[in-house]
Order: sequence, then structure tokens, then C-alpha cells
Amino acid sequence: MQIFTPSADTRLRLFVSVVIVLILGSLAFLSGHAESSFATKRGWVQEQPVPFSHEHHVAGLGLDCRYCHASVENSAHAGFPPTHTCMTCHSQLYTDASELAPVRQSMAKNLPIRWNRVSALPDYVYFNHSIHIDRGIACVECHGRVDRMPITFRAKPFQMEFCLGCHRDPAPHLRPPNMTTVMDWGDWQEKHPEYGAEAMAAHNIEPEKLVSCTTCHR
Amino acid sequence: MTGDKDLAMLKERLAGRRGRAFWRGLDDLSSTPEFRRFLTREFPALEPPPSGPSRREALKVMGASLALAGVAGCDGVPDERALPYVKAPEFALPGQARHYATSVTMGGFAQPVLGETHEGRPTKLEGNPHHPASRGATDAFTQAAILGLYDPDRSQTPRERGRPTDWQAFEAAAISAAAQAKAVDGEGFRILIGRSTSPTLARQLAAMRAAMPKARWHEFEPVDASGYEASRIAFGRPLEQHFRLDEAEATVCLDADILGPGPRQVLHARQWSARRAGFQNGVGECRLLVAEASPSLTGVTADRRLIAEPHRTEALAAAIGFALDAGGDGNIPLSTEETEFVRAAAAALLRRRGRSLFIVGPAQPASVQAIALRVNQRLGNIGRTVQFTEALAVLPSQEDSLAALTRDMAAGRVTTLAILGANPVYSAPADIPFAAALARVGTVVHAGLHYDETAAQAHWHAPLLHDLEMWSDGRAVDGHAGILQPLVRPFFGGRSPHRLLQILLGDLDTSGYEMVRETWRETASGGDFEEAWSAALLQGYVEDSAPAPLSPVPDLLENSSAPQRQAVAAGAPLTVEFRPDASVWDGRFANNAWLQELPRPLSKLVWDNVIQISPALAREQGLSDGDIAEIRLGGRTIDGPVSVVPGQAARTLTLTLGYGRTAAGQVQEKVGFDVYPLRTSGMAAFAEGASLHPTGASMKLATTQLHFAMEGFDFIRSVTPEQVTEGAASKQAEHPSLYTDYPQGSPNWGMSIDLDVCIGCNACVSACNAENNIPMVGKDQVAKGREMHWLRIDRYYEGRPDNPRHHFQPVPCMHCEQAPCEMGCPVNATTHSPDGLNQQIYNRCIGTRTCSSFCPYKVRRFNWFDLTGNDPPSVQAARNPDVTVRDRGVMEKCTYCVQRISEARIAAKLEDRSIADGEVLTACQQACPTDAIVFGDITDPASAVSRRKASPRDYSLLEEANTRPRTTYLARIEKEGK
Repeated sequence: MQIFTPSADTRLRLFVSVVIVLILGSLAFLSGHAESSFATKRGWVQEQPVPFSHEHHVAGLGLDCRYCHASVENSAHAGFPPTHTCMTCHSQLYTDASELAPVRQSMAKNLPIRWNRVSALPDYVYFNHSIHIDRGIACVECHGRVDRMPITFRAKPFQMEFCLGCHRDPAPHLRPPNMTTVMDWGDWQEKHPEYGAEAMAAHNIEPEKLVSCTTCHR
Repeated sequence: MTGDKDLAMLKERLAGRRGRAFWRGLDDLSSTPEFRRFLTREFPALEPPPSGPSRREALKVMGASLALAGVAGCDGVPDERALPYVKAPEFALPGQARHYATSVTMGGFAQPVLGETHEGRPTKLEGNPHHPASRGATDAFTQAAILGLYDPDRSQTPRERGRPTDWQAFEAAAISAAAQAKAVDGEGFRILIGRSTSPTLARQLAAMRAAMPKARWHEFEPVDASGYEASRIAFGRPLEQHFRLDEAEATVCLDADILGPGPRQVLHARQWSARRAGFQNGVGECRLLVAEASPSLTGVTADRRLIAEPHRTEALAAAIGFALDAGGDGNIPLSTEETEFVRAAAAALLRRRGRSLFIVGPAQPASVQAIALRVNQRLGNIGRTVQFTEALAVLPSQEDSLAALTRDMAAGRVTTLAILGANPVYSAPADIPFAAALARVGTVVHAGLHYDETAAQAHWHAPLLHDLEMWSDGRAVDGHAGILQPLVRPFFGGRSPHRLLQILLGDLDTSGYEMVRETWRETASGGDFEEAWSAALLQGYVEDSAPAPLSPVPDLLENSSAPQRQAVAAGAPLTVEFRPDASVWDGRFANNAWLQELPRPLSKLVWDNVIQISPALAREQGLSDGDIAEIRLGGRTIDGPVSVVPGQAARTLTLTLGYGRTAAGQVQEKVGFDVYPLRTSGMAAFAEGASLHPTGASMKLATTQLHFAMEGFDFIRSVTPEQVTEGAASKQAEHPSLYTDYPQGSPNWGMSIDLDVCIGCNACVSACNAENNIPMVGKDQVAKGREMHWLRIDRYYEGRPDNPRHHFQPVPCMHCEQAPCEMGCPVNATTHSPDGLNQQIYNRCIGTRTCSSFCPYKVRRFNWFDLTGNDPPSVQAARNPDVTVRDRGVMEKCTYCVQRISEARIAAKLEDRSIADGEVLTACQQACPTDAIVFGDITDPASAVSRRKASPRDYSLLEEANTRPRTTYLARIEKEGK
């Protein structure tokens, strides 16, 4: 007596191959998704209460990064400018601009402006700005050409791979510490091929220690 | 499981063992099948619940969660807001912690701290290294005080007869009551305060006395360890007694827990360890002889401990007094053991005349304490190992202060009563009908941190500010005055006690800040006040503010030897002893989960109090751990679970205060039983004539004693003094290993823990809780072995169960060079760093728990649940932002405070220098009052930790496992070393 129908084998094969395709497909999708700008938010513009233009303030007016992000050299956090900092200029300039209403309100009501973070890191990652600036990692390395961003977006993926790339081989990314806020480095690498290695030696930077887990995770 | 053990059988078992036998508890020693099963399971937590899911059901659930795991992985980084300041405060540096010197009060005394704040949010209290009383050390209470600040159950609004009202109404009522009182010169106006040493409070008291000459002040402190009453008998006035344990080469304590929990623990522990360090280096002796009823930290640290029922202390003190020619009657009947102890104690004291110390504890009647004063005078110790100053308390209490107030209240002589920072309805002695008398008072105003038992019976209640929110002042135990400065604006808008008193004086405007400044402006002797004020705020204490020791010491009064104690009631079988609790003290910390879950130093019990009974009594009554028994004493009864305590006096029941509260908050709901109903004013420390009656019921107690037990031997080692000086204890050569050696770059971190000075006080565990965001799990989970403390203090017994020797051993992660956990982890979530740390990476961990099963030291903890996500927002605000808050399903463990190493490393790199020795202090090391824990760079031969590890006493735990741990121990120094 026949237990299985003649098509049973075909159906089983079909089922198994569908399962395999589904598994492979979802794996491919997941890895692609993780790398995609949808997951990393790279290039995505965040809505902000005030449409602040880094392009205008940096490229147009030539303001130094540290004018607003004042604690970048001394603290783990670069710091957001207090409303007072905005008002040093905007109590005189564009005093009626409707875009600046949230700033004036913040000042009047003594309530902070609620910015949406662009360069947020997960809570288990501890990044310290001061030591990176001190060793000569330029702002542009991670934050991109903010002088070309009318509205700020995330320029780099901020995945672990991105951080490790530099921690494994810091030399090509090192710049003179007093020039870290420079945006356009042009052909610096070609002109100063030795600088990275020299800086590594001068500061005793040991990449094998930089890739230790607790450098960033605690 | 315990009580019916046959002592003879246990002794036989011990006799059969070879080598040095340690046991963790009575269950261990008796090796019942139940205990064996318990021990062989590496984690007791793994036991399936009796009615739990079957394997099939579990697999089904697992399948579902696996399917969902991918979905959870799709979450990106959630959008976050960034809220900058509107106007940045001066010197504010976001991301950089700031420290302010201040104090928190404990039993009226200021405990000096440096408060760490992140963006204005206090997160950790460190000891103040500049303060002469603590030199940077703290105790477990001080470390947990930060959680008290964030306690969501704190009172948040004034109340009138229980109904929330506003401050205007409260102030109007207070002013009108005060005005009425002033009109009659304060007749019927009474104020009751908890103990305080605040000079500002003293100044306000004087002002109030001037304004209302007939008003009266009363002081009530449930646990009074001041000894004021004894000095009143001996010298005619209350004096503060200061011991100099660092000068005392021989100390004899009778019923005195000088190293135990309390305001003076840090000072005493620091002094004792200084003396011990001298002894270790061959300078002088460090003898400690203790007679006590229930094992205390002092008793188990002593090199000779006599078990003595509380009422025998008087005879012992008198015998020692007689032996040292300090008067008294030589005709005292003593047992053989007691005679031997007295002889040894007298000899030790006499041999070190002028450098010895005789202490009778504050639990004893004042007349017995006075014997100690006479002995010390006889030996020439006064002015050297014991000094006297004027009393530090604002109102050095008369013993009958509360009783007198209650009498007046009952007689209707009190029209207005203000209670500040005291909770007498809960903690008043049972023979003082305070609560009943309260009903006869016209207006009762209560001010406290919580809406507590007393507040519920008051007409008005006002929330007090926490010490970290207000301007105040207070004296540390060494007498130095310190300014309490706020670390943060008040969360709930309370008032400081100074403000409230000022309101009663009719002054609504003067701020606490101005009041405290005014006090110190008055006392400033010339010079620039502003400069002195800034200096005091900066260093945490006022220079030269400690009262000078009295010299010469006033003469002892002649009649001071008159015995005052009542004779022992005939036919009284048992003695009940009352002790403050090592976790909740007198009940004030009942709502602090960190303290509730802190294993008690000796019993390792959490979330409960017990009736401590001796193994002999347990056997006699057929009781074992957790059985509920009733105590009858003088017509009053209470019942609670018993715990069998090796080393407990046979006929003494020890009870701890502070449990069974009815109105302290959510944390302590249904926790423990109240023992105050047994405690009467004449017998606040112990009472004779009790009886114990088993009820037949029993309950589960949660202790951590048997959790995370290691397999092996020689956990505790000791050497003889001779071996130390000869350096004879040879270190074993390193065993060969199949694994590659880790590179020894500089710095490379290591730790050394000196078991010779560890007193098991828990300060390190409490500090670790605060620093590393350790979640609390509750009693049920602790009972399953799921407590999360990264640092545990193992307690071992040695010797006979009725009088064993105790050993403590703090066990953090060993940071093994050849770490088994690293070999076990399938996903490389635990790895080794170039600076010698065994790293645990939470975001990589998938929770297989392999590492934990591989760890021979059992120091890894697993998050079985999301233990942190549902915490109230205020508790979440207490967390250290430099340490990841762990999620469900990941393993965690001691990191050597890697966040502190990182901070120091970055600071050093910014200045292009190397990290100095002592720059990185782990939280446990920072808090330790005896310097038992030293941490540092082991590649630097000059570092403190390298010098420790070079000692002949240095040894590794489970050396035979060849894991090459970076945490090593220094052996105890004992007369009979092994």
C-alpha cells in the first residue's frame, strides 16, 4: 500500500527549497539593512525646532566650531550651545525672523531648546571628544563637511566598523591638534605623508590598546 | 534544617577532617543531602520551579522568542533629544563630573563626603580624603545615602491632618502657634529633635530660649551610643569620649562593638587598621580581646573572644577592675573561661600601661561603663588612648528626656509640640506611651523626610529636605565641624530644619544659607570671613573647629562605683539583646533598597530581621532557621523567624531594631517584624527574663551565605607573626600553562586585599552598588541565588560550632590572566585587555552563561530580568552615567571600575604623562575604612599594590586552578598560623 502520494516528494523538495530561499533571503536582507542608510541614518536629515544652517555659520560667516561646541577640548561631550550663545548675535541680527522664534522663546521662558540629536551613539558606547581633539582627529573625520550642510545630517554611519577603522590604523587620520576644526584638508595626505607616523610616535599611540573593548565599552 | 543537629556529631565530623577545616554555615558542616544537592548545582538559580514549565513548553517558548529576536534587532538607535542650557552656569562643563565637599548626617554626626554630580545631578558620595575624621573612607550607610535622596516615597508636600495642603497654610499655622506660645513665654511649647550636632541649630536653640524662656527642648535618639550618661555619673557632666585605637596596643572590649556599624565605625576602623599596619611591620602590638553575647564585627576581628551573656559583663568589668587595682570587690564568682579571660585581659592591659584601652560598651548600664573609666585612669590611659572633650551633641540627652516629655503631654501640660527629624511613635520605648499621650497635645507639628508613623498622628506634617539638598552644618565624630552644602536644588520643595525653626520664631525670610553663614560669622575669630568660609566649603570642614581634649581631665566622682543595676530576676531563663541593624539602623533606612539587600556582615541575611539564637538553644527547642517563635518578656510578646548563629551566647536572643515599619514607603512593605514593642526605656540594650516559644510556623529567609560557593580549599590562609618577620612563607613558583602569556605592557592593573585588616563592614559592597549601577532584585530572587552584587564578602567559620572563629573574604572578579571565562565564551563577549583587565562587553553578550559556569570563583552575575527599566524615574536619575545600565539577558561582573581607569587614562594622556600610583581608586578601595583593598599598576615595582604583592603573605585564591588571578590576598596574621 502506498502511503505517500506521487507528488509528495516534489512538494517536500519545494517546501525545503522555499525555506532555504527564505532563510538566505532574510539573511541577505538583514545584512543589507544593517548596512543601509536606513539603519545607520546616514544622510538623513533630522527635523529641528530651528532650521539651523551649519553651511551659513561655518562656511559663510567663518565661525569656529568651538564658538558653540565649547567643551569639545575639555570634556567627553562637545556640548550644545546654550541659548545665550545664540543670542550673543541674534539679539542684534534677524531679531524678528520667524525661524528664530523658538530661540527667543527659550530665552524668555528660560526653557531649553529641544534639538534632535544627529550624531547619537548607543548608550553602551563611551566616546570622549577631548582626547580625540587633543590627538588631532579633525571634526570632519566623523561629522563630515558640516560647512556644506544647510541642514545637518549624519555624514558617517557610526557603526563599530567605522570607529574600528580608525582605531586600528590611526595614522592617516591624524592632523595637527591646533587645526582640528579645519573642514577642507584637500591634499594634506600627499603633502605630509610622514605626519601620521610621527604623531603616533610622539604621542605614544598604540593601536593594539585602542582596539581593546573597554576603550569604548564599559 | 539546622537546629536539630547533633553537636556531638558535628564535632566528630570536624575531628575527622584533615588540614584546616573551614565551613560556610551549619548546613555545610553537617553536609545534609539537601545541602550537597544545593552545592553541586553550580548556580542554585538553575533549579526549575516545582510547578514550572516542562522542557517541551520551554522549548516552544524559546522558539517563539528566537523568531522574535530578529525583529528586536531591527531597532535603530532611538531618536534622542538634546537639551542645552539656556544660560550655562559658570564653570559648567557638560560631561565632566564635579565634586563638592559636604556631609550627610548619621545619628546626628556629620559624615564627610565629596558629592559627585553630573550636570547638577548627584550620583555618588565619595569619602573626603582631606577630612581628618575619615581620610576618604566611608561606611555602608553613607554610600547608600544617595539613594535616600532619590527615594520616590519621600514626603513631597505639607499636610494638615493627613490631607495635602500648601506651604502658605503650613506657615500661617506655624506662625500663629508660635505667636500664641510667645505670648505666654513659651509655656507649654515643646520641641523634640533627633540627635544633632549642628552649631546653627544650637544658635537657634539659644535664640528660641531667649524668646520663649519657658519653652522646653527634648532630644530622642533610639540608638544612643554616646556614653553621656556614664560620664555624667563619673565626672558629673556629659562628656564626649574619643578613643585612640591607633595608639592602643592592647584593647579590651566588653559588650562594645567599636568596629561595628554606627557613626564612629569609619574613625575606629581607620585607627585600628593604622595600629594593625604598625603591628604588621613589627612596630608594637595590636591585641584585641572581646567579650560579647552575639558575634559582632569587633568580636570576630579580635584575637580572643569570650562568649558572655550581657549580664555577665558587669562581673567581668568588676573583676578586671579589681585585678588592676581600680577598686571594687574581689569576691566575684566567675567561670573558668571567664577567669582565664579576665586574667589575659588584665595582663594585656597592664603590660601596655598607657598604651592600652579598656572599653565597656554603651549597651551596659552607666555604672558599669564607669568602671572602664576608672580602669583607664588607673592605667594612665586617659589623655592618651582615651580623650575627653565637651559633648558634641547640641542637647546631650538625659536618658529620661522623652519620658519627661511624655509625662507632661499626658498631664496636658503641652499645648504645642514640634517634632523635628524623629519618629517616636515608631521607635519610642514600649513603656513610654508616647503615641497615646500625643492625643492630649493641642497642636502637633511633625517634620521629616517621610510621612511616617509619627507624621500620621500629627496635626501638621512638613517635608524635610535631604542632607544633600540643604544648607546646614554638623560635627564629625572627631569634633570637626563641617558645612553641609546642597548638591542639588530640592526635588520636592521641602524645608530644612533650620528654616522650620526660623518659621517658628516668626521669621519667614532668612534662608538656610544665610543662617549657616551667620553662625560661622559669629564664631570666626578675626581674619577674613569670606576666605575662611570658602576654605571650609572647599575642604569640607572648618579648620581648628574640633574642641580641644580636656586637660586635665576632671576628677572622677567618688560615688561613681555605686552599682545601680537591678538584681537578675529569679527564674529568668533568657536574655533579649537589642542591637541597631547593620542595614536599616534604627529604622531610618528602612526604605533604602540598597541597604535592605546588602547582606548583613555576619548573617548574610537580606530583606529581613531575625531572632538570633545559639545552636544549643535551637537544639533544646527544636528550632531551625526560619521557624517562627514567640518571645515573651514582661507581659509583652512579639514573634519572628529565628536564625541559628554559631558563636551566640547560649541563653541570649539577639534582635535588631528598625523592621516592621508600617509607614516608610514601598520598599519596606511587609519586611521584618518590629521589636520596639519589647524594648523598654530602662532596658534599651538588653533585658532579662524572656522566654521563647516555637509557634510551629516557619518562613523562608534569604541569605547569600551559600550562594556562589567555590569548590576548592585553602580559601583563607594565615601565617604566624614570626613567619611574617622572617618572610618564611615561601611563595609557590608559577605553574606552567598551556595558554599563551598575556603581554605585560605598562600599566597593568592588579588588586591586593589584606584579609588581616578586613573587618567585613560592607562599605565596599555598598560603594560598588552606587558606582556601578547594580540593580536590586528583591528577597525572592535573592533566595534563588540571583543577587547582582559584583563584590561579595564570603564569611567562613573555623572550629567548633558553638564558638567558631570567623573569617571574611571580599571576592570581586579576579581578572585572571588565564581566565577560564574568556575561553568559554562562544561570542568573544569576554576578552582580555592589554592592561590586564578581564573585560565584559554587554552589547556583545548573548547570555549563554557559559562564562559563569567556567568561572571557578563564581563572580559573574546574570540579568535574569529587566531589573532596571521599571525603576521610578527618580531612581533612574541616581545612576552613574559613566557605567552602562545592563539589560535583561546579559552577564555582568566587576570591571575594576574601568570607567575610573578610562577617566584617569584620558586625563593623563591629555597631559602627556603616565598615570600616577593612587590616581585610580576603585570604588571599593575608596570606601574601605581599613585600607584592606589596594589597587594599582603591578608593572611598577614602586606602586603600593606591587609592594603588597611582594609580601610573603601574598597568595592567590584557588591557586591550583592556575588561572593567575590579578586579585590576590594577604594572609591573616594569627598566633597559630596555618
